Amino acid sequence: MKQRKPLYTLLLLIVLLSLVVSACAKATPTPTPAPKPTEKPTEAPKPTPKPTPTPAPAKKVIKACQVTDIGGIDDRSFNATAWKGMQMAHEKLGVEVKYLESQQQADYATNIQEFINEGCDIIITVGFMLGDATKEYAQKYPDQKFAIVDFAYDPPLPNVLGLVFSVDEASFLAGYVAGGMTKTGKVATFGGIKIPPVTQFMVGYEQGVKYYNKKHGTNVEVLGWQTDLKKEGFGDGVFVGNFESTDDGRRVAESFMDEGADIILPVAGPVGLGTAAAVKERGAMMIGVDTDWYISAPEYKDVYLTSVLKNMDVAVFQAVKMVVDGTFKGGVYVGTLANNGVGIAPYHEFEDKVPAELKAEVEQVKEGIIKGEISTGWPK
Amino acid sequence: MAPGTLDWATIRHRYLRREQVLGIVYLLFAIAIWTLFLPHVEAGAKAKFGLNVVTGVKPIPVPDLVVPARETILLLGFIAAFMGGWQLSRGFKEPQALLAVLLVIFLLAFLVWATAGKSFNLTGMLASTVLRATPIAFGALSGVWCERTAVINIAIEGMMLSSAFTSVVIASATGSPYWGLLAAIVTGAVLGLVLAVLAIRFRVDQIIAGTAINIFAIGLTSFLSHSWLSVRQDLNAAPNFKPIPIPLLAKIPVLGPMFFDVNLIVYIMFALVIITHIILFHTRWGLRMRAVGEHPKAADTLGINVYLTRYISVTIGGIIAGIGGAYFTLGSVGRFDEVMTAGKGFIGLAAMIFGKWTPIGGFIASFIFGLADALQVKMAILRVPIPSEFLLMAPYLVTIIVLSGVVGRAVPPAADGQPYVKE
Repeated sequence: MKQRKPLYTLLLLIVLLSLVVSACAKATPTPTPAPKPTEKPTEAPKPTPKPTPTPAPAKKVIKACQVTDIGGIDDRSFNATAWKGMQMAHEKLGVEVKYLESQQQADYATNIQEFINEGCDIIITVGFMLGDATKEYAQKYPDQKFAIVDFAYDPPLPNVLGLVFSVDEASFLAGYVAGGMTKTGKVATFGGIKIPPVTQFMVGYEQGVKYYNKKHGTNVEVLGWQTDLKKEGFGDGVFVGNFESTDDGRRVAESFMDEGADIILPVAGPVGLGTAAAVKERGAMMIGVDTDWYISAPEYKDVYLTSVLKNMDVAVFQAVKMVVDGTFKGGVYVGTLANNGVGIAPYHEFEDKVPAELKAEVEQVKEGIIKGEISTGWPK
Repeated sequence: MAPGTLDWATIRHRYLRREQVLGIVYLLFAIAIWTLFLPHVEAGAKAKFGLNVVTGVKPIPVPDLVVPARETILLLGFIAAFMGGWQLSRGFKEPQALLAVLLVIFLLAFLVWATAGKSFNLTGMLASTVLRATPIAFGALSGVWCERTAVINIAIEGMMLSSAFTSVVIASATGSPYWGLLAAIVTGAVLGLVLAVLAIRFRVDQIIAGTAINIFAIGLTSFLSHSWLSVRQDLNAAPNFKPIPIPLLAKIPVLGPMFFDVNLIVYIMFALVIITHIILFHTRWGLRMRAVGEHPKAADTLGINVYLTRYISVTIGGIIAGIGGAYFTLGSVGRFDEVMTAGKGFIGLAAMIFGKWTPIGGFIASFIFGLADALQVKMAILRVPIPSEFLLMAPYLVTIIVLSGVVGRAVPPAADGQPYVKE
């Protein structure tokens, strides 16, 4: 059995190396002085509960920590937008910010626990999928402040601020524009995983198109989603089953275009970048989600009709600010068209192609939604 | 087993002959077609299958396929029932293989039912099928090369992911997808060689060695992706391979868009299926590979260098997995995202097993998986009253059902997974 020795040494080495590397991949702290999240040290964080405090601080530096969902901090849409709010807090409020990426659902709890050990003043969990883990830890540590994007607890927890968004209002507008801009009479949408924060976009979009049809007597068809309030998730449609595979985003988009759709709204984070590539090749249009894709993914800038904005950065910033000001309390923040928590991006390249009448109508519809005269179809 | 006990196998053996069971299964198909689909189709509804695509080199236009839904389903049910009756009374020569025919009939009935009163683009779906099958077929081919010489390669997923990463970086840096493809090949070869050294030189348990490579690949690429690529966005914007239409052949309706107007990586996949088949079954090298996989000791006695054969085959397997990894980036979007291979390498491994360790079998299995995947999207678009969560399971379910029902028992190479110790 002499020959077995080098084998185990080698194997052990590889496994250890993998563990070190994946540990690095998960936890990357951002140092306080760095203005950008992009300049990160590469070494793994030490598991010491308290990092060395800044020498003789006039007042304690508030530490805000973000746990991302699967998809990564650089997904150019969902996690990235929330992180933008954290950076804003860092720049304007001098808060120390850091994040941990979740590679899989099992990481949610461990990442939250790690931040609790580190003594974060507020932990911001990004995403509906983190709802259960956040609730568990919020109840276990009632003094720890939390904010969670896309989740509102009923009844609310005293130490958790739920940041939710009426994206249906914004995607309703996007649907209205799409209804007015389609040349084939068919528009499409698909989602990543069937969860309410995703289907909310799809419901608003479909209803927006229908509202356009009603106003103009047209018959624009929506592929990939059908609202049915009796069903779970308020309808059903096309989903790719993940938030990672750009190839899926591409193939689904091609399938839609084969059926004649010429405007696609992908509600699936980075998967939508695959859609953008396919749409660009065939000269169709698409609508970005969460953030203005004209800015976040400019390589496809000539295909974005507009983007449905979910201003998570503003909400996250507000949550951190409340902690800094000492006004934090649990509850729910709802981003709406009225408070600019949601909206649609400028038309950019399509500025000249969208008729002035349509633009004016969109403004009217927006007013109607704010006043409550127009229903977006999403149950409040 | 205690004497006198009756288990299912004994009952079946004594009272039901296999041929009769199959005949009854055929009849059940007919009944399923009539009861599941027929009552839900309105009289006079037509199903329209588009045969023309709007993209690429437009093939010669053909009229779309329009069929009356009710009548077609009724007819398909009759065919299934007739086959069942024939099997029970006379018996087919190859009843097992005919199960595949029946599944196709069932699928057609399902399609007609789903499309009744609507339309969908059949050619587009089939073209999508080939693309979705491509990475899986690469995985299956990689597995064939390794396992035919008795080295289990469970690291295909990791090899693909690593190659996807390096191909994007190199293609972005050089501005040429060809350099990216070369980088993918080199990455695959290196990882293949690592596996070979672990498995052959050090005789590590091959499953553990492969798993280690997978964990290593996921960790390293995810780490580099967000710590480095997120800063250097310019290195994550690779040019991708554009479809290359083959003159004349690309103009053939339906088949043109499927096979003759695709990108380089898909052509490589087709070529590799054929080349692997020829090498494995019609050359001296292939015979040696198989001998090494079945009975390394006998091969050694005859003067075949077992170790060298395994080193070369596993490295080639790695290269093939590497090209498969390039599909995700250079063959699709030109961008790397963390864990973007999404388990396709493992499915490739399953396709290899279902394909009975043959390249063509593996390709067919990949095609079936790709079909289910593409079909699933179309069904969701057509608003089939099946919850989307179940539709997403379809590719996996269909693969299991079709291949366990039709293929039967798959036998791996006799020495698969066992290190060879020269005496």
